[in-house]
Amino acid sequence: MSADFVLYCILNTAVVVLISPLFVSLVKKVKAWTQGRQGPSVFQTYYTLAKLLRKETIYSPHASWVSRVAPVACMAAILTASLFVPLVWVTEPYGGIGNIILFLYLLVVARFFMALLGLDAGSAFGGMGSSREMSVSAVIEPTTIVVFAALAFVFKTLNIFDMMAAAVSAGTLKTPILILLAISLFIILIVETSRIPVDNPETHLELTMIHEGMILEQSGKNLALMELSAAIKQTLLMALLINLIVPWGIATTLSAAAILAALVIFLVKGCVLSLVIGTFESSMAKMRFFRLPGLFMMAFFFSTLIVIIEVFA
Amino acid sequence: MTDPAFFDGVIKILFVCVLITAAYIITTKNLISLVRVYSLQSLVLVAIATALFWREGAAVLAGIAVVTLVTKVIVIPYFIAAVQEKIRIKRDIEFHYLSPTSSLFISIALMLVIYIALSNVLAGTPAKGSLFFFGAVIGLSLVLMGMMVTFSRKKAITKVLGYLSMENGVLLFGLFATELPFIIEFLIVIDLIILVILTTILTIGIDSTLEEYHNRLHRFYLWEEQEEAP
Amino acid sequence: MIELLFFLILALFTLGTVVPLAGAKGDRRSIRVFSLACTGAASALLAAFALLVIIPGTTFALPLWQPFPGISLDLYVDRLGAFFLLLIGTVAACTAVYSSGYTEHMEGGNRRNILCGGTALFVLAMTLVVASHNTFSFLFFWELMAAVSFILVMYEYRDPGTTKAGIYYFVMTQLSTLFVMLGVIALFVLTGSFAMAPLAITPASAPLATAAFLALFFGFAIKAGIIPFHKWLFFAHPASPSPVSALMSGVMLKVAVYGLLRFILDVFSPDLWWGVLILVFGIASAVLGVIYAFKDHDIKGLLAYSSIENVGIIFTGIGLFVIFSCEGLTLLATISLLAALFHSLNHALFKSLLFLTAGSVVHATGTRDIEKMGGLAKNMPYTSVLFFTGAIAIAALPPLNGFASELLLYIAFFHSVTVVDPLLKVLLFICLALFALTSALSAACFVKAFSSVFLAQPRSDAATGAHEVSRSMLAGPAVLAAACVLLGVFACQIFIAAGYVIPFPDLLLVSILLLFMAGLTYLVLYFTASREARISETWGCGTKSQSAITEYTGHGFSEPIVTIFASVYRTKKSSTKTYSDKYNCLFGGGTAEIRLVAFFEEYIYRPIGTAAMKGATIVARMQNGCLDTYLLYVFIAVIGVIVFLGVMA
Repeated sequence: MSADFVLYCILNTAVVVLISPLFVSLVKKVKAWTQGRQGPSVFQTYYTLAKLLRKETIYSPHASWVSRVAPVACMAAILTASLFVPLVWVTEPYGGIGNIILFLYLLVVARFFMALLGLDAGSAFGGMGSSREMSVSAVIEPTTIVVFAALAFVFKTLNIFDMMAAAVSAGTLKTPILILLAISLFIILIVETSRIPVDNPETHLELTMIHEGMILEQSGKNLALMELSAAIKQTLLMALLINLIVPWGIATTLSAAAILAALVIFLVKGCVLSLVIGTFESSMAKMRFFRLPGLFMMAFFFSTLIVIIEVFA
Repeated sequence: MTDPAFFDGVIKILFVCVLITAAYIITTKNLISLVRVYSLQSLVLVAIATALFWREGAAVLAGIAVVTLVTKVIVIPYFIAAVQEKIRIKRDIEFHYLSPTSSLFISIALMLVIYIALSNVLAGTPAKGSLFFFGAVIGLSLVLMGMMVTFSRKKAITKVLGYLSMENGVLLFGLFATELPFIIEFLIVIDLIILVILTTILTIGIDSTLEEYHNRLHRFYLWEEQEEAP
Repeated sequence: MIELLFFLILALFTLGTVVPLAGAKGDRRSIRVFSLACTGAASALLAAFALLVIIPGTTFALPLWQPFPGISLDLYVDRLGAFFLLLIGTVAACTAVYSSGYTEHMEGGNRRNILCGGTALFVLAMTLVVASHNTFSFLFFWELMAAVSFILVMYEYRDPGTTKAGIYYFVMTQLSTLFVMLGVIALFVLTGSFAMAPLAITPASAPLATAAFLALFFGFAIKAGIIPFHKWLFFAHPASPSPVSALMSGVMLKVAVYGLLRFILDVFSPDLWWGVLILVFGIASAVLGVIYAFKDHDIKGLLAYSSIENVGIIFTGIGLFVIFSCEGLTLLATISLLAALFHSLNHALFKSLLFLTAGSVVHATGTRDIEKMGGLAKNMPYTSVLFFTGAIAIAALPPLNGFASELLLYIAFFHSVTVVDPLLKVLLFICLALFALTSALSAACFVKAFSSVFLAQPRSDAATGAHEVSRSMLAGPAVLAAACVLLGVFACQIFIAAGYVIPFPDLLLVSILLLFMAGLTYLVLYFTASREARISETWGCGTKSQSAITEYTGHGFSEPIVTIFASVYRTKKSSTKTYSDKYNCLFGGGTAEIRLVAFFEEYIYRPIGTAAMKGATIVARMQNGCLDTYLLYVFIAVIGVIVFLGVMA
């Protein structure tokens, strides 16, 4: 393992952990604005996490070893996945880090543990959340894979590092089809981060919640871990979208100036995307759960069409 | 900005947009957005015709773009929207034979079948494999998807939109596959027919299913032969 | 030296078979332990033998017995065979260790001796099938394997469910043998010998060669449980004792896979459409298998359906291999074949692990219904960890072995854009999407299985009183679990050592990173976060304490998927309502029913069964038991022969 790569790991992890809560609060802020409220501060998520760390942890008497292990396992999987998506600096990939399928499955690891966590305490809410989460993720999975396969097809590689490097060196969009793929990626982003119309991240009503239901039993540092890992996951998917579709500004060489500039540019692009997500969420209504497969079918149809057009024409 | 590869890319995106609108027309239950989507679909066709005009420079293409813009993007949707305001029906939730999901699958299958059929028909000609060939495939698929709407939906207004969408498919096919002057005449004829049908339906009532519509025709003595039957 | 080892293995297996059968009269523990020890030792030696063949890449031939010229029972082991022998040996050794504890808790008195002896013979038969050198001995041992496994399935023969399972299994397995025999006969007609040698296909012989392939394919597909020939699996696996289910699901299905691979690789030169056929059957089995597994609430039934899914995945790999080799894409073909082989091994490991731990759970609670379990993680912590390992392996989570083999398939699929034919490309894309669906559903399925069995509160008295199983019943599965982890983590290194240079990510690095990140998280929390912890009641909307009634059950968990895939399950919902008032406002009473139609049973198996019965009735009419009628038949037959010989020839 080269020194460059170790440096990359440290840098990327630090950036993603520090930035992620910002985007979460920003989306909340945008939603508040559209509802005519002032909303919480954009640093609110940082304050919340800091507060959660100071609180005691409560376990259910029915909980088994899963409740003790799962939050850390979930965080570890997400942090490992975060190494697969360069945020500000693209270096040479090492040992298969950056493989797009492995990235996807690391997210599945986190989801697997989270679903078990939801069921562990024996609460009906947690079970409902887990059941819905696993169902939704199963139904969206074909779309995700087809989109990722299309990305691999367009960039002629399976590695996210190489994809981003190709996107940067091409300067402009590699093919116009990427615009369509961006829409698909956006849908995946919405589904995977449990946002309207799939899930409502703000309620704790049993009728609407998926993700919030699963972590209802968590408290203290465990809740902080779950919140932070959800935030990091969102940032990763956002970065995938941003750095592949509008790649300008990513550092390809190791110099403090380039990386700082890339960081600023990434922050700006991320804020813009957060604005878009917030606006999108505000303009939608939560869908009834069993209407979701219809939505996913549309997304699948759309992605398959892209592939067919790319293959045939 | 006259790079052919760029235009090809743009046209590909527009193809996807056309098919998406067609898929939306097949699956949606909301009548108001149905009309909007139809007009959007026509707009995409206008864009395709314009892009082709830019690339090829044939004046006919510009003509088609203008005619389509006027009739299908503005006039017809305006008519239907006006009628909709009167009849106060917002949703068409009945499906015949096909569920929305299965019709999506069938339309993908249809595209593949048409692709195979057309590539057999055009085997050996230079057209095979080019963008023009693919445009023809999309056009025909659009026709068939429109046809699916006409038989899988119950409300008369949805059937009309399915028919209009079919006609868009004919236009697309014409843009890419056949001789243009002929197709324009053909289009105008079809447009006239549509207008006639539309006006008839508009006057008698668009909110009904076709059976009810027949009954109304009977009541107004516009449909005689059934009356004579015992 | 190596011959001696092999003879030793055969002798030990025979000893393990003969001793308990000879002593079948007495219900003595020592006999069973001796038999299982023989089986275990022989299996372990078998695994070692296989490694001795695989690592240098040598071959091993051993003529056994030649009753007639041209017909012989010959043994021959090359790298492919040795790979499957390794699989058989590993799983059988662990199962034998497990069985030594398991059989002692079983009912059935001295029938348990037969179980132990049968197990040894069953493993021996499978070994010999894989080691067969020609199609004749292949068929011979294949039938032996089928017969012995039938006896093992019928262990609880007094139970009507087992009888049904046994009959289903018997019919299907004989059908499988019939097809394989037809294929072997067709090959014999083509080549005039029983050797497994490459077939020279001329235009004239092509139809017969195709027919031979189809017959063999259907024969192996029935045995492997490919949908729509899968029904026996779902009956036979839950009905048989858990070690037997583990062997059947983990190993016997792989023997069918071995058969298919052997004939495709060594005998035929496949066409493209053969590959498409295998691929389509494979992917359909994968998707439908996991969808059916999801709704099953019998823990062994769930595992049986999941076996169908995994065999489907293996067949997908084989199909891809055929397609890519026809297209001339050597690297992709190698990756696909490797995926199929590696998944065979992995599935053998984690599925037998799951069946064995499921057997422990069934033993502890006395039921197979997961709705009556729950909360076992506290009573059976070791079993829960072992089952958990199997669950994450089968759900294809990195860095375990299930993921490694599925990743190989994904890599093959993702590169399928290099295939020229656009239609084939689209087919592969669609299969890719379905494969992704399978993978995601199997994760959901095993969240359900694990959580319903081990998490939350016990839902029955039996589950409340469950206790951890004995050490031997933990040791066998523990070895399998360790193998699952090691094969996953070191997948990349194993491929390199085996001489396959493929673009495969280094899972060892990923595992180290995962551990590092977990350690980092733990350390950061340890130093920054509050260390106070408290036990307090689960939030239940203000109720003072939760009871098991309110928690989510397996049925509840699978409800969304059952509703979404209602058209696959053929769910039929019906309800009748009566109202107490004339405006239909006050609900008086009524009935509601949700029925899951067993599609294949009702629409395929039963019509065929009914038709067979009708045919049998017609034939039975000819058998009237009257001597004169039979004499008449003989008379007609003699006339027929005379006419045929004299007039036609």
